[in-house]
Amino acid sequence: MSEDLTQVNSKESSDESKYAASARAFRDNVSRDLANDELRANFRGAMDYLMAKRKDAFSSQDELEMLRYQCKLIKQRCLAKLPYLLEELEQKLEQNGIKVHWAETITEANEIIAQLIAQKNGKSVVKGKSMVSEETALNDYLEQRDVECLESDMGEYIVQMANQHPSHIIMPAIHQNKQQVAKLFADNIDDFSYDTDVDVLIQQGRKVLRDKFCQADVGISGVNFAVAETGTLCLVENEGNGRMCTTVPDLHIAITGIEKVIEKLNDVPPLLSLLTRSATGQAISTYFNMITSARKKGEKDGPKEVHLVLLDNGRSQAFADEELRQTLQCIRCGACMNHCPVYTRIGGHAYGTVYPGPIGKMISPHMLGLEATSDLPSASTLCGACGEVCPVEIPIPRILLRLRKENVKPKNQQPQIMKGQGAGRSSVEAFIWQVWAFVHKSPTLYALSMWGLTRFRFFMPKKLGPWTSVRTAPKPAAMTLHERVKAQKAKQLQAAQKRRV
Amino acid sequence: MNKLNSQHLRSYPKNPKQVYLFGTCLVDSFFPDSGMDAIELLEREGIEVIYPQGQSCCGQPAYNSGYQDEAKAVALSQVKQFPLDIPIVVVSGSCGGMMRHHYLDLLDDVPEIKGFCDRIFEFTEFLVHVLRLKIVDKGPKEQVALHTSCAARREMGVHITGNQLLAQLDNVELKLHDYESECCGFGGTFAVKHADISAAMVADKTKHLLATNVVKYISADHGCMMNIDGSLDYQEESLRGQHIASYLLGRIKGKESV
Amino acid sequence: MTTPSNTKINKISSNARTSILAKLKAQVSGADYAKLPKEIPYDYPLLTHPEHIEQFVGHLEANHAQVIKTHETDIAKVIKAQLEQRNISSLLCGENSLSGEFIVPLKTDINLQAYDFSIDGNKEMLFNECPAALSNSRCAIAATGSIVLWPDSDEPRSLSLVPPIHFVIVDAEKIYADFATLMTEQQWQSKLPTNVVLISGPSKTADIQQTLAYGAHGPKELIVLLLNS
Repeated sequence: MSEDLTQVNSKESSDESKYAASARAFRDNVSRDLANDELRANFRGAMDYLMAKRKDAFSSQDELEMLRYQCKLIKQRCLAKLPYLLEELEQKLEQNGIKVHWAETITEANEIIAQLIAQKNGKSVVKGKSMVSEETALNDYLEQRDVECLESDMGEYIVQMANQHPSHIIMPAIHQNKQQVAKLFADNIDDFSYDTDVDVLIQQGRKVLRDKFCQADVGISGVNFAVAETGTLCLVENEGNGRMCTTVPDLHIAITGIEKVIEKLNDVPPLLSLLTRSATGQAISTYFNMITSARKKGEKDGPKEVHLVLLDNGRSQAFADEELRQTLQCIRCGACMNHCPVYTRIGGHAYGTVYPGPIGKMISPHMLGLEATSDLPSASTLCGACGEVCPVEIPIPRILLRLRKENVKPKNQQPQIMKGQGAGRSSVEAFIWQVWAFVHKSPTLYALSMWGLTRFRFFMPKKLGPWTSVRTAPKPAAMTLHERVKAQKAKQLQAAQKRRV
Repeated sequence: MNKLNSQHLRSYPKNPKQVYLFGTCLVDSFFPDSGMDAIELLEREGIEVIYPQGQSCCGQPAYNSGYQDEAKAVALSQVKQFPLDIPIVVVSGSCGGMMRHHYLDLLDDVPEIKGFCDRIFEFTEFLVHVLRLKIVDKGPKEQVALHTSCAARREMGVHITGNQLLAQLDNVELKLHDYESECCGFGGTFAVKHADISAAMVADKTKHLLATNVVKYISADHGCMMNIDGSLDYQEESLRGQHIASYLLGRIKGKESV
Repeated sequence: MTTPSNTKINKISSNARTSILAKLKAQVSGADYAKLPKEIPYDYPLLTHPEHIEQFVGHLEANHAQVIKTHETDIAKVIKAQLEQRNISSLLCGENSLSGEFIVPLKTDINLQAYDFSIDGNKEMLFNECPAALSNSRCAIAATGSIVLWPDSDEPRSLSLVPPIHFVIVDAEKIYADFATLMTEQQWQSKLPTNVVLISGPSKTADIQQTLAYGAHGPKELIVLLLNS
């Protein structure tokens, strides 16, 4: 498995994630998925469930708001120190015997992991849940190199079997109902006949995967918190597959984004408490797994080698702008998408990006460039339901507004903050807003345009494009408020004068 | 603390004798009755309402579309129209939010901007916290629903003040519609840019409002109402919305429901 | 070890490291960290010890763990009864717990197996021939109903993970109010072992139509023997 290094170093078009193409197809995806009644019912049910669970977990509004504020400050402090914490993390991990690798692009990350596996002649990988590995499309990369890569998180296992991507960052198969899963299993697993009993389905998954945990050469996982103070990788899970992947195979490779590093061990409890309660309404996940080294002398199990891959892939672009840096506060709880009316209706796949929903709208432009994601910043009413529940107080509507600004800036305007600046700019729209501003900042021109609107209101077209495909058009009034007020004042003045006479 | 809670931290003026009214471009051109009713309500409480003829639009449509320079030019022009140090009452939660919160960022190079923003009050907020309006309900018994715009809810706390005002109406029963706090799908240019998603959202909102079987719903935001009523009309339903200013004035005067 | 493959990934990694750190440092070098706002943790109400126990047990039972309040002298009896109910006659334990006086009585009826082997070469046996396991615990957390294990060479990580039934002994005197308190009082930052795991119930998932199912990959059953309560 000897790859040409030059291939890896070319960071341009060959590095483009497969998600760039699916993200570009946003409008078509939305059209398709809005028409899928079963999908919409699945999402409505799932979001209602998750919103209710979260609400029940936060009985004290006081505690919730104080905890959110505290966690925002923790993440902001860690981001303010990011490069130094990354250095400290690396130093501590390596002291503990865990090797640290850095990757700027998704191809670099994949190549590093592929090489680490090849060095051990690894042929079968079992994967714990890792959204970052979805981001790099690691499974595809490894499979092209004859390494079998099996997802072990139940949701991911289902999605992999269906040849799909996760549609939610916490519950990957949320877009399917149990009938669909039952059919999927029946179609793909020998000796399994259609059964919608969820326990039966889960036990089937358990049986297959238990074998894999036992046989796999390599376990790959994500990381929820990487603690710099102690050089510790923390993993949150309910199923136990994370522990399996990080304990049983001889080689454990963890991959995560550079923004996941936390300064101190005691930063973990508040973040953990908000993460699990915001995500699924649980006080804590079934397992909280803290890994500080590989198998030590005298120990009977655990991986003999542990590696961590730190991925940039656009995060440093967000970091470089103070306002956009807040995007990196995200702890991947999923509450934003659970509360989003747009996500609820279009589902996770329509976005075409690895991360859907509000967080997806904020982070995907950095990962894929605005060229591929120019429809995303505007695909929100800015209702703010997401910002209200974000455990680390990311001002999501504000950031979306900022992304809209970057999206319509002239392409060559300096300074260039984002790759793909101006991708959403249309000279027609820009002209319309220029005219609009010209009129609206001048009281005279505004009055004139309003006069025209009201006096010619009967000529207003009944068809106003997409607005009137589901609504009747509003009709301008006969007189503007300006005119009504003016007329009333004149009348009052007249009446006052009459009284004086 | 975060901005979303800021309305709890602001101080309210006591017994102002004069206020400005910011009508909003939508009310100006499509729904002036609501503006007139808001003025009348305020004047009945003994307040002189000044309506600067030079006002136009808060700038939000351009701002939300990413055209911040254009929005800023228009915003600056608005600020100049309201020079006196008196409250500015805004007849929309989303325009109110724009002028109260977003102007701080958009016009951060204008020295007196914080003073301006501190004078911005959404209409129901003003009635409840400044006027401490006491309403005697002279209207007939009826049931209504209340729809609060998202910006109004999250930036200006209007769901609270709107509810408080309706709660004072002894002959009015407020029916809570399902998914009450979910967005109606307007979002300004969103309704045009992502028309299919907007259509899906307004379909659900109208469905939930219709399920309450009320004869009308009340709202403090004409943007939402234009969206919801447009959809209801298209569906040939008779349910319509009424602006809270008009509704309250009607209840106070004892007029038959329109 | 410098193989061509190693050199390759070291080169990728070192170039990436230089580039990434440079980009990040360009933004924050020289920042005055003294200006960061003060962080105030939430003041959780203090509960009494009996309340902690109640909270601890409540969370575990809500998560489908079985909690049996018992005494050291009854451990063997309780475990024996639980195993018999399930028609199980073997139990995997840590090497040293085998010699513990409270476990010894089990030997007569149960095949007590010591985890005295390396997992290497024994995975199949561990996965297929060990229906139940017993472990001790370091301490516990009331606020979340969590049991803290610090696996070691005596009670390895896979002991509490692979066998489908996990018996764990918890001392109620070692229940802490919450995770933050525990970490601080025991000064974890100075001495973390290879692995720490907080266990708060049997394995579960709600990945299929949000319907809870137990026994996904980790133990299907968690049986907590609570002493000194």
